[in-house]
Amino acid sequence: MAEKLLVADSLDKVYGTGEGATHALRGVSFELNEGEFAAIVGQSGSGKSTLLNMVGLLDTPTAGEVRFRGRNAEALPRPELARMRNELIGFVFQFHYLLPEFSVFENVAMPAFIGGTLAPGEIQARAEEALALLGLEGLEGKNANQLSGGQKQRVAIARALMNRPALLLADEPTGNLDTVNTDLVYDLFRKISAETGTAFMIVTHDRGVAQRTDRILEVTDGRLVQDIRNDYARAT
Amino acid sequence: MSRMLSLRIAWRFLRSAPVQSLLIISGIAVGIAVQIFVGSLITSLQGSLVDQTIGSAPQVTFQALTDGDPVRYSPKMQDVIANDPRVKRGSVSPVRFATSLYTNGTDSASLSLIGGELRELDGIYNVSKRVTDGTASLRATDILVGKDFAAKFKLTPGDSIALTLQGGSRATFTVAGIFDLGSAAFNERQAFVNGDVPRSLLGWSADQYSAVQVQLVKPFESAQVATDWRRKVPGVEVVEWQAQNADLLVALQSQGSSSYIIQTFVLVAIALGIASTLAIAAVQKTRQIGILKAMGLSDGRAGRIFLWQAIILGGVGSTAGVALAYFLLFGFSFSGASFSIQPKLSFVLLSAGVGIGVALASSIFPTRRTSKLDPIEVIQNG
Ligand SMILES: Nc1ncnc2c1ncn2[C@@H]1O[C@H](COP(=O)(O)OP(=O)(O)O)[C@@H](O)[C@H]1O
Ligand SMILES: [Mg+2]
Repeated sequence: MAEKLLVADSLDKVYGTGEGATHALRGVSFELNEGEFAAIVGQSGSGKSTLLNMVGLLDTPTAGEVRFRGRNAEALPRPELARMRNELIGFVFQFHYLLPEFSVFENVAMPAFIGGTLAPGEIQARAEEALALLGLEGLEGKNANQLSGGQKQRVAIARALMNRPALLLADEPTGNLDTVNTDLVYDLFRKISAETGTAFMIVTHDRGVAQRTDRILEVTDGRLVQDIRNDYARAT
Repeated sequence: MSRMLSLRIAWRFLRSAPVQSLLIISGIAVGIAVQIFVGSLITSLQGSLVDQTIGSAPQVTFQALTDGDPVRYSPKMQDVIANDPRVKRGSVSPVRFATSLYTNGTDSASLSLIGGELRELDGIYNVSKRVTDGTASLRATDILVGKDFAAKFKLTPGDSIALTLQGGSRATFTVAGIFDLGSAAFNERQAFVNGDVPRSLLGWSADQYSAVQVQLVKPFESAQVATDWRRKVPGVEVVEWQAQNADLLVALQSQGSSSYIIQTFVLVAIALGIASTLAIAAVQKTRQIGILKAMGLSDGRAGRIFLWQAIILGGVGSTAGVALAYFLLFGFSFSGASFSIQPKLSFVLLSAGVGIGVALASSIFPTRRTSKLDPIEVIQNG
């Protein structure tokens, strides 16, 4: 029996007010279990990023609520939201968002530094493990600026995995990568999901990619129009 | 790196813009150095001016109510002076004045005679130490003349000089020594003689003097001391140096306040420099702060990044400023100025502290901006 990781309940999001207001989400509801591997698909501007940011406790809905492991995000103070983002959620954005002032190792380890609960040795071991998983061995000491686009995105993924989150959110993570790299990244996501029990929500344009997930949530004009289970994973 | 993460990030951010960091540190250093140098310069200059004016002069003086009359150095007066802790030990000198005229055949000059005990005169004028030629001695017919007087009349120790004293009598003295009290006017017009010379001339008794001169531990207490003594010793006049040097005091005061104005502007300049640098740094790092916050860095720790930057910049800048100030002061000691600058440690530390304080104050804006930043703003806008 799968445990419930998060519940999105009748989410509405309106940007701006009056004439210029954009209704980015309209009554979106779904539940996600621990360890589930889901894709969010939809046309550009349909509200995918908005939804992901809300689930990631980065943004707040205009109406409705997000419950993360039973806790209503709206009722939580900012420091607690920050702590939950740090401990439970990993983000991979379309753009890598690495910190250019820090080395590859430091970038990957940053979530653990922020968390402040792991011993230095443990941080070292985990960061090395994450880097190895993404085929980035030997790049630890490099500056983030010295990497190729694909390497940067893989460092960003390693960073998102650092604190062994319960949920990994990825907003078009392969948008800037070629097909080969895209396939590598998704194979990796599947592998991590299988090994660690991390739940995934991946925003993608790529139908082919979406087909390889357990579940596809389709957003159109801010509404959740389809929520289908996929047999791909179980079939292989 | 988990511990003191804000400090480490602050340090890394500063290092990522080394030119900017070094410029602002130099700015603070120069500002603090100027602050310390100017402050110490003015203080020392004032000390030196005050010292020149009254260091070798009476600061509080008892004299008769009527000019020219003797004042009695009464047991009461001796008692009041001896029991006042504000009086500098050994700096009490009862003196008698007489005027005289010196002629060497072609030129003549008036010479004011100060008669007293050498040991007591030393307490006010420090004569013995300032005798540059000959010996400091005031036996019956000895006279100590100033170096400008001696130069004008080509006198050397051992020479005899005849003076026409007030009242018309003539007397012959032996030049025992030549002094330099630092003031050409004094060196040219005043001379020291034995206290009995004016006494017999004026026909005064042993306890009658022209003035009883006193120096204080703290010269600026003279007005208060004079007020107290007027009350305790009635029937005599008590004068003090500050009342007689009002112009000097006004000059010192305006010099002091102009120094404060300079120091204030220097501090404002430092504050503006740090504030603008930190504000720019905070804007430049908005993206990084947003990413860190998305990863769970709390508002407080994010804000502290710029507080630490201020502490680092202010601390390093102020320390460098103190070093630079001592370097400037060291350089000044070779400038040949007539006085030396003694920086007060308390003032130096205060200046450095003010530098750091100003840095902290100017971090308020970037700190608050950073702490308020919502990560979604960065994530959405790429
Ligand atoms: N900060 C914002 N202010 C105003 N409108 C916004 C903002 N963010 C997104 N939108 C609008 O909301 C809608 C959904 O955007 P988004 O969630 O980014 O879509 P997607 O990720 O599916 O492309 C779009 O019409 C977009 O223009
Ligand atoms: Mg999007």
